[in-house]
Amino acid sequence: MEKFFKFSKFFEVVKVGYLCNYTPKEIIHSAGFLPFRVFATDKPIERASAFIQSYSCSQARGALECALQDDFFAFVFTRSCDTLMRLTDIFEFVGKRVHNIEFPTKIGNVEYYVKELKDFVKVLESWGGEVSFERLMESLKLYRELEEKLKKLFSISPDYETAIKVQQIDVRSAIKLVDEKLKFAKKEEKPKVLITGSVCPYIKVYDLFKEAGFSLKDDICTGSRFFEFSYPEFEPKDLESALRYIAEKYFYRAPCPTKHYPGDGRFNYVLKLAEDCDAVVFLLVKFCEPHFFDYPQLKEKLEKMGKKVALIELEFPVVSLEQIRTRIEALKEVIE
Amino acid sequence: MRKLQSSERMRELMAGYYMQGHQAEFNAWITSGAPVELLYAMDIYPVYPENHGALIGATKLGSYYSDFAERNGFSRDLCSYARCDLGCVFAGTSPIGGLPKPTFLFACNNICNTVVKWYEVLSRIFKVPLFILDTPFIRKELKESHLRYVEEQLYDFIKFSEKITGRELEERRLKEVISKSIEGVSLYSQCLLTARNKPSPMNCFDAFVNMAPIVCLRGTEHAVNFYIDMKKELEERIKNGISAIEKEEIRLLWDNIPVWYRLRWLGEFFESKNACLVADTYTNAWTGFGELKSTDIISSMAEVYTLSYLNIGMDRTAEIINRLIDLYDVDGVVMHSNRSCKPYSFGQYEIQKKLSVPTVIIEADMVDERIFSEAQVVTRLEAFLEML
Repeated sequence: MEKFFKFSKFFEVVKVGYLCNYTPKEIIHSAGFLPFRVFATDKPIERASAFIQSYSCSQARGALECALQDDFFAFVFTRSCDTLMRLTDIFEFVGKRVHNIEFPTKIGNVEYYVKELKDFVKVLESWGGEVSFERLMESLKLYRELEEKLKKLFSISPDYETAIKVQQIDVRSAIKLVDEKLKFAKKEEKPKVLITGSVCPYIKVYDLFKEAGFSLKDDICTGSRFFEFSYPEFEPKDLESALRYIAEKYFYRAPCPTKHYPGDGRFNYVLKLAEDCDAVVFLLVKFCEPHFFDYPQLKEKLEKMGKKVALIELEFPVVSLEQIRTRIEALKEVIE
Repeated sequence: MRKLQSSERMRELMAGYYMQGHQAEFNAWITSGAPVELLYAMDIYPVYPENHGALIGATKLGSYYSDFAERNGFSRDLCSYARCDLGCVFAGTSPIGGLPKPTFLFACNNICNTVVKWYEVLSRIFKVPLFILDTPFIRKELKESHLRYVEEQLYDFIKFSEKITGRELEERRLKEVISKSIEGVSLYSQCLLTARNKPSPMNCFDAFVNMAPIVCLRGTEHAVNFYIDMKKELEERIKNGISAIEKEEIRLLWDNIPVWYRLRWLGEFFESKNACLVADTYTNAWTGFGELKSTDIISSMAEVYTLSYLNIGMDRTAEIINRLIDLYDVDGVVMHSNRSCKPYSFGQYEIQKKLSVPTVIIEADMVDERIFSEAQVVTRLEAFLEML
């Protein structure tokens, strides 16, 4: 395996797959691997159904399908939902090299998570990677640059194709790609819709909103939640403080419903995002419990704010785009 | 099936337990895997929405109450315990007249992350504080950092409940409760172990029906007394050669939460095939709480509750099931692929390949009877039993 690693490293494509946005990709990158976010693809789910039940979400089944067909060196699972928690073992069962990071469900205890990250560094080293303070700082800098540029791009005109692409290429190439996109980005004055939900790697779905005459703002795991962070204010001085920096960066990022935030942080975040929007669309993947539990009460609060709300349930691969188009067009008519 | 007399006593005991809840000064809604001992030690009455969900399932009212939640926007794909519980809150009643309004909520995610979301919803409805006891998932090794993380939270929880109730947790009282908890779990385990006898004096349906005291009354004299009597009854049965079913030819193990609305039907089906489900992974999960120590209570609590059956990796789960297979000398395993419980069900396809005896998987749901397809289940089980 080490031979494979050295060979692949020459071409800089030692892919370490990850599924959850809370995965500290900076550490993976600094160790010399390519952090590669795994999504469901356009291909039908065939082999994965032999390993996990049909009532698992299609993102989980799609990612497993992808893992069974692709050449990943390893996979990193970060604790989020119950499905991912079990998926780690299933990946290992089908012969994949895996590691699970126990990201706390309850946001608060940084000390504990720093220890978990230290253990993760050791795992990466056991996989043949090398993590040093200097390299980690370089990765932190690069990812921050990418995140800030994506933020800028999205503030002008959200580009989901780019947001998804950058999660599967090297961070330096990703920065170049966003720079290119920034050159041509134009702001559009159209009714604005907030889309909120879990993952949606299907660009066509976003296109449907644009085609219906909406401009977009999002709280989507494959969109803004990839790059919305509150950065800690201290400057790391050594490896341990750099890990603490990462722990805090990920604790206080755009919140996900798989985490428990004090003071109902997740709801307040979405309500704030919705303030300048004309409507809100919940774009939820079927069987995604964390999002579906939030939906009724969050919807009620949004409606109290005077927002029009719609729910679109997705399953990957998306086979009925026209149905989704009808829903979006109906929403547009209601607003008008 | 030969009904245990203890089951009748259990009903009376639990009726008393539910009645008490409406009179308690403070009560906390708590998840089934949370350390209830802390509540009893502070005289805070524990209310179990999951047990309530099971009761609704057993009365075949799962879809009826779930419908109230679904009409309020909660998806039919969510856990049916949660849907039923929320449905009862919206309906303002339940088969037992509804649960008392909580003083606060206490959820531990050592059984699933669903409870975190479910209790967040409850917290918004009742506008009461929620404490989440966050246990890391122990896929491989239990690390010192995991234990310290949970231990710190247990101390936080004590402060949290002391602040709300104005009561102080007394060490002496906690020790008493822990000692009762250990005693109760030990007696409960001995009851389950009587099923090692051939033929078995009880089956898993008896265990399901009589597990409520170990869940809800763990740490009290009531649970201890109940299982003393149940053990006596089971030992009497062994002495007198009375078995759970008429003719025990095949011994089986059940995996996952019961199909509550089909307990009797499943019991009769297996009996008609001379098959006895002598043990199950669900009720056995509570035997692990017997590892609590009466010294160094909080750190032992952190360890025991972090290592709960649903909070461990697949290798360990398969090891435990194989141990149960040997212990109860079973010929096969019936796995309930439970649409409502992802952490219990995902991984079953892999676990079955690690087990030492043949297995069958049936698709159902613990409470929502709309999911159950009788013909499909019969076909699968009949083929499996013939093969055995």
